[in-house]
Amino acid sequence: MLDWLDAFLIFGLFEVVMIIGLGLLLHLELGLARIANFGVVGFWGIGMYAFGVAYIQIDWPFGDPWQFLVCAAIGTVVAGLSGLLVGWLIADLDTDGVLMGTLGFATIVLILATTEDDLTGGARGLGGLRFPYDIGTVKENEFLWLVILSAVVGLILAFVRLVHRSPYGRLLIAMGSNEALARSLGKPTFRAKLLLFGLASAGMGLLGAMYGVMVRFLEVANLGVDITLAAMVGLVLGGTARVWGAVVGVFLTVGLFDIVIQSYLPLPKEWYTQAIPVLREAVFGLTLIMVLLFRPLGILGAMRRDRLMGRIHGR
Amino acid sequence: MELIAQSLVIGLTEHAPLVLAAIGFALLYRLTGLINVAYAETITLGAYFGMWANTTFGLDFYTVLIPAAVMAGLVSVVTYLLVFRPAKQRDVGVLELIIISFGLSIFLRHGLQFIFGYPMRFFDVPPPDSFFVLGVGVGSFRLVALASVLVLSLALYLFIQRSRTGLQIRALASDESLAQVSGIRPLAVTILIWFIAGVAGGMAGAFYGVQSSVAPLLGWRQFLFILLVVLVGGTWGLGGVIVIGILTGIALAAMTLSFDQTLYAQLVLIVGFMVILKIRGRRLTETAKV
Repeated sequence: MLDWLDAFLIFGLFEVVMIIGLGLLLHLELGLARIANFGVVGFWGIGMYAFGVAYIQIDWPFGDPWQFLVCAAIGTVVAGLSGLLVGWLIADLDTDGVLMGTLGFATIVLILATTEDDLTGGARGLGGLRFPYDIGTVKENEFLWLVILSAVVGLILAFVRLVHRSPYGRLLIAMGSNEALARSLGKPTFRAKLLLFGLASAGMGLLGAMYGVMVRFLEVANLGVDITLAAMVGLVLGGTARVWGAVVGVFLTVGLFDIVIQSYLPLPKEWYTQAIPVLREAVFGLTLIMVLLFRPLGILGAMRRDRLMGRIHGR
Repeated sequence: MELIAQSLVIGLTEHAPLVLAAIGFALLYRLTGLINVAYAETITLGAYFGMWANTTFGLDFYTVLIPAAVMAGLVSVVTYLLVFRPAKQRDVGVLELIIISFGLSIFLRHGLQFIFGYPMRFFDVPPPDSFFVLGVGVGSFRLVALASVLVLSLALYLFIQRSRTGLQIRALASDESLAQVSGIRPLAVTILIWFIAGVAGGMAGAFYGVQSSVAPLLGWRQFLFILLVVLVGGTWGLGGVIVIGILTGIALAAMTLSFDQTLYAQLVLIVGFMVILKIRGRRLTETAKV
């Protein structure tokens, strides 16, 4: 039934969908509230590791799927609480402080994952994770997991659209435009930031937990800057201000490298070990520069409401 | 007492490049208002240039410091002219500038691997001479690093505070338009700032590289600590950066010796700096940078 799909394609699609999810959550922070979260990988990673540690190290009295559900909830809650903590730390800091706080948090997660090897496996890694079901072959299990992830990311997309149209979304946009003004008008900007970081981080943690199941083996090498970069470059290319920005951008960046190049281009095998991954990151970095220099609002451009206001005011 | 002596000696000598790099980063931050994430790669490139000059031309470590620093300085200037100056001319915001510098950091980090190769590289130098300071053995490279930090810090401080060009730099940082009508050439002065920052970063990179290995992540691994030192110490000017940088080095050494684990020391330090910044609060004060 799934002969047309190979393992590379399933995994490539999984990565694309997961990065879209992270890009959507980053969109709430960067696109609406204009808070640059450089520590996406930290929230994603703490969710992945909290899930993995809970799943492997605790002797649960029940099996899957309840074991998965409880552990995924633990990963999500831990990531969400971390988001609240980081949000509290950086709520009154400027962009430089936000960079320091989010980057610092991602580094702390990396350090803890490395040093607490009794729990996390450290540099050796943590194995033993599995799908919460068994419907047949590995490929079928992975495909179903991709479908489930797509449903989760679909829910995140719906949530982001809902936020855009809600008073809370308008408050985030107001904070992004002029936080001092929003505060002076009596808007609860501090609480809004905390909620934003808590929710977005919880979502990132859930995606991390789902990634852990897909790879079945947690490695600290995954906690580098690659995940943050992929989410950011996809969002920036598609358009930070638009709901669909992350979807379009991630397909054009991560999709190009992780699906088109990995699965369809007949390149020499040795290129895939080092040249392509290095080229991928270099191109992502260059894309960030070029887009922000020449088309700062990305492919999709400004928010609809901004364009409407521009037309009304003859701009 | 022994712990204090060891912490002082190891902290001052092993982490001297951190102070050097922080001085360069602070210069850019305070005088141009830019958090340049790609400064991490200026450090990395300094290490690569030094290693390249050392292994290709057989130059000794002390000699390669000059080409490494100058080449890193030139790269720093080129990044300004090709990326940050056009961005400024296009009125790119602070947030976008940081993301651009993040992109540049990633681009340089991975681009340099196509030039210098993927594997980790090493300086080809004889083992450094060892000296005993307060009963602690220290390699000559580290002593040179410490001496360079002292000399460069003093030179930079005097240059910025006492020289005519330093006055121009400070004037430019305070009010560009006013500086311009006073006869200061903004482009020349800004290029000079980027060059000096690059020289400091490149030299720090060469010291880091010779102490261990030369790898693409060399500068990135130091970046967070440089950022923390500059954000916390920068309030008191260049002198504050130097003092906080030195204290950070000593604290890292002391905690590494106590915990027997460098990563725990880094963890405590990161948390400590974050708490300090939280307590101090930096409420949307972009102007405080200059």
